[in-house]
Amino acid sequence: MKDIWTNRLSEYIDGELDASERDALEAHLATCGHCYATLADLRDVVARAKTLVDREPAQDLWSGIRAGLVTSEPRRQAPVVARRRFAFSVPQLLAASIALVLMSGSAMWLALRNEQTPPPTPAAVGETGRGNQFREARWKVQSDQAIAELQDALDQNESKLDTATVRIVRENLAVIDRAIAQAQHALRRDPGNTYLNLHLAKAMRQKIELLRRANALAES
Amino acid sequence: MPRQVLEDTLTADSIAADTALAASGDATAFERLYRTHVARVHTLVRRMLDADEADDVTQDVFIRAWQKLSTFRGESAFGTWLHRLAVNVVLARRKTVGIERGRFIADDQPLDETAGKPVSPELSMDFEEALASLPEGARQVFVLHDVEGYRHEEIARMLGVVPGTSKSQLHHARMALRRHLDR
Repeated sequence: MKDIWTNRLSEYIDGELDASERDALEAHLATCGHCYATLADLRDVVARAKTLVDREPAQDLWSGIRAGLVTSEPRRQAPVVARRRFAFSVPQLLAASIALVLMSGSAMWLALRNEQTPPPTPAAVGETGRGNQFREARWKVQSDQAIAELQDALDQNESKLDTATVRIVRENLAVIDRAIAQAQHALRRDPGNTYLNLHLAKAMRQKIELLRRANALAES
Repeated sequence: MPRQVLEDTLTADSIAADTALAASGDATAFERLYRTHVARVHTLVRRMLDADEADDVTQDVFIRAWQKLSTFRGESAFGTWLHRLAVNVVLARRKTVGIERGRFIADDQPLDETAGKPVSPELSMDFEEALASLPEGARQVFVLHDVEGYRHEEIARMLGVVPGTSKSQLHHARMALRRHLDR
């Protein structure tokens, strides 16, 4: 049997009644077995909805999608002129991303960095243009060295990790390497593309972070 | 670091890398994104629309995602962005084919929601089937609110109704579905 409160039970469950309505409904629930039981059922429905699982389609839809991609290339970005205001060079982005990693990195990482950083040369001081070039080149060298050393460390540490973890790490390194290679390839054609610059820097950062985490996991 | 945390991080990194690759035109990377997300998208579409439309609309969602990838800036996870795109495609489909007319039930329309006891287990319909049997308006509100976690205000905006209608539809849906709980 329904009463005036039955249709308010969902709002009660979702916390959408004001304080006076909630108090009145709770007083009603203490005396109405029907509403009390209905409330329990509705709560079960809400809980059941949270447990529904996703299912794959009965047939693979990729072939139809792939055919659609042929005639619909991803839309490219706005003209370069509009992007230049926010464009950064790859070395600048690398510098920023590596700096983030360094700030949050482990003592091992800091030690590696300290070993790699050469002191400024006299020729670089006071020559802004050449100094920038020097710093950019140094950042690139540092990032490459950092990756190489972290990779060497991981090669030695792999035996401390279980097979499944090693496989996952390798698979993800391969994905990141592909992303780096693709971004570098695309940037050769469009060096000022902000999106590609950001993704290259992000991919480099991800690789350093992944190597660092995998080494940390092996050492733990 | 616990292995699960590492694996979650690696999965997120893989998706981010594949998203960047796909945005630069790499269809193979986009296929990996499809494989990762197709179950979630297809299930959402199937629940929101009729099952026989699910394949076509799911394909449409992924083709649109491919076209719009350059607008994805990474403010949210790719999966979240794709999910929102799927909801928009479903709702646009609903408007395009005009199936919204007459599908929102009035408060007093006879949905079979008044039985005091659940049906016996042998007669109990699978919960997903029961969900599919709901009138479209009630089904879509239930899916968006209770399954996908949208708020009534968001649902009302998306469906072009007032929040009170969304709340009413949700209650009707829950009342109908309670008879089909697995017990």
